[in-house]
Amino acid sequence: MLQNIIDFCNYWWFRYLMVTELYMVEKWERVTIHVIFAVLFCLFWYFNYSVLLSFTGSILGITPISDSIEQQAAKIA
Amino acid sequence: MGNSNGDSGEVQQERQRNCDISNSWNKMKGITEENMPKECDSSTVELRARKNGFKDNVVEAAPTNGCLKNCTANTTQCATANGTACSNSNSNSKQSLYTPAKKLSEFAAEHTRKTSFEEVPLHTACLTYLGFYLLMILGYINQLLFVPKVAKEENREGYVTLYDAFESFYSRYVYRRVRDCWNRPICSVPGDEVTLKDRVTNDYGWSFQFTGTETRCLNLGSYNYLGFADATGPCAEQSEETAREMGLAMTSTRVELGTTQLHLDLESLTARYLGVEDAIVFGMGFATNALNLPSLISPGCLVLSDEKNHASIILGLRLSGATTKVFKHNNMRDLERVLRYNVVHGNSKNGGKPWKKILILVEGVFSMEGSIVRLPEIIALKKKYKAYLYLDEAHSIGAMGPHGGGAVDYFGADPKDIDILMGTFTKSFGSAGGYIAGSKRLIDFLRTNSHAHCYASSMSPPIAQQIYTSMSIIMGLDGTDTGRQKINQLARNTRYFRRRLAQMGVITYGHEDSPVVPMLVYLFSKIGAVVRTLTTRHIAVVGVGFPATPIMEGRIRYCLSAAHTKEQLDYALEVIDEISDRLGLKYSRKPREPNTIEY
Ligand SMILES: Cc1ncc(COP(=O)(O)O)c(C=O)c1O
Repeated sequence: MLQNIIDFCNYWWFRYLMVTELYMVEKWERVTIHVIFAVLFCLFWYFNYSVLLSFTGSILGITPISDSIEQQAAKIA
Repeated sequence: MGNSNGDSGEVQQERQRNCDISNSWNKMKGITEENMPKECDSSTVELRARKNGFKDNVVEAAPTNGCLKNCTANTTQCATANGTACSNSNSNSKQSLYTPAKKLSEFAAEHTRKTSFEEVPLHTACLTYLGFYLLMILGYINQLLFVPKVAKEENREGYVTLYDAFESFYSRYVYRRVRDCWNRPICSVPGDEVTLKDRVTNDYGWSFQFTGTETRCLNLGSYNYLGFADATGPCAEQSEETAREMGLAMTSTRVELGTTQLHLDLESLTARYLGVEDAIVFGMGFATNALNLPSLISPGCLVLSDEKNHASIILGLRLSGATTKVFKHNNMRDLERVLRYNVVHGNSKNGGKPWKKILILVEGVFSMEGSIVRLPEIIALKKKYKAYLYLDEAHSIGAMGPHGGGAVDYFGADPKDIDILMGTFTKSFGSAGGYIAGSKRLIDFLRTNSHAHCYASSMSPPIAQQIYTSMSIIMGLDGTDTGRQKINQLARNTRYFRRRLAQMGVITYGHEDSPVVPMLVYLFSKIGAVVRTLTTRHIAVVGVGFPATPIMEGRIRYCLSAAHTKEQLDYALEVIDEISDRLGLKYSRKPREPNTIEY
């Protein structure tokens, strides 16, 4: 069972490396690229969270849940 | 020497075959000639006479050659058969404006039915580009951080760098990563099987060490179409005999002390094989294109070249200084558009005066695409616009057509409709060198003007003997039907292999009768992975990627051979099926054949 899952993951990891051309690069390059991917992902996430979300929120007139929770918290305090 | 042209009975048979071919072609043309208005004829002839080509009048060829007798015999026969007036060979030019329209559309339909260039799925296209950019970025990072010793030019103070920056960047940081899949040394005859010399790399492709072991592989990579690359058998024996008799090199050019009876015999046999008046042979196929094109065309000439033409042709065109216009691969509409525009507008650099010559340059079978030239349509176009036609049969000669006569034979065309027939002996004949065949005048012109004839060393005798013997076998002059069997075997192998691949759902390019079978894998990594995996399963194939193909179209190229048996192909197909599941190569969205495919 566990072996099956590991095999499955390994196989698709291999396919993923293949379509991104990372299959044929050296190990440190693979790591570098994955770090870059991760950093990019985080930046996007942060951008979406901090800028895009409040921007669309203000356009559409939706208050983010976190804001209202904060307000509630402030009131209670 | 044993190089006499065979007894007369066989010659007769050969002629009969030539007659058959041109008869059917002439019949086809005869039909249209009946309803042809007479006024047009003279104007056509006049137009042709005004052209100052190297080959201005076909009829004038010296009537000393046996082949000419042969062709008069053909036309007489055709006259009696159709009751129309095609009693002299000049009728060729008369018919030119009147292409058999119905027939041509049939040819076009057949071409579209049999040729497939399936579109790449969109997500694969995007991934391929992304992957390529990724590789480039990584390459630049790599180059920034590590410049290996080999990449530095040392002790060259005051000199500019000698090596081109981009190309060396590309081969160092992209190609190097999968370099183990190319330039693999072999240590056996490249027959149906080949022995690879194993090697390993410990530094990601910068250097290799031989392990001392060897791998015997099924050979799906060599251009050994008819299986004449062999260390035993009649070809090898006769070549050996010739080598013992005449040595390995002529150490002289053809115009000095390099011509032997063997060369002359080979030339006349080649001419006979192709059904034309005369032929000339050269020691190298690449040079045949690169060095003869400049003697045929010059600045002020226009060349219409297929976009997928071979590097040797492109080099020849650059050397010649002629203006080159590229038309889309095998696209008759585009060819006609470019032709018409240039016939109408002339040479814009020369105030719109007519081009000196217009030459259409195509290949018989395109080696990277696996497609076959649309010869009947090109012949019709060339006659309509009075352009010359240069056909490179490097991959098709021997491998195509019921008699192994190349694309001309495959379409049943008249070889005299092609002004310059070029081909190489490196593929089907299992030898080396190239030829140009055509009218006697063309060949005589080349004998005096070709650099490859006058300045290059002449063909090595055992090489010439190998061609001579294999060609005789294909023509059946050895009294056996080995040649015929080989041709049939190749055609069967081709059909079977291509249909099985299509059934699997991988994307293959090209025409279903072409023995070159490119299988699209798109990504660099996949080229590497397929070649490596197949090697572990004892199959040797060739991967092709950028810059030999567009970035997006990395492919694996299989070359079939008459030497392969069904069992070998079945084994290969089974393995290919398995790995294309595992690596995800089944891109095709076409409906698949549900039934098993018969050999
Ligand atoms: C179309 C074409 N022309 C010419 C050549 C050159 O022939 P050779 O390899 O005999 O030099 C090739 C070789 O691949 C080819 O494909």
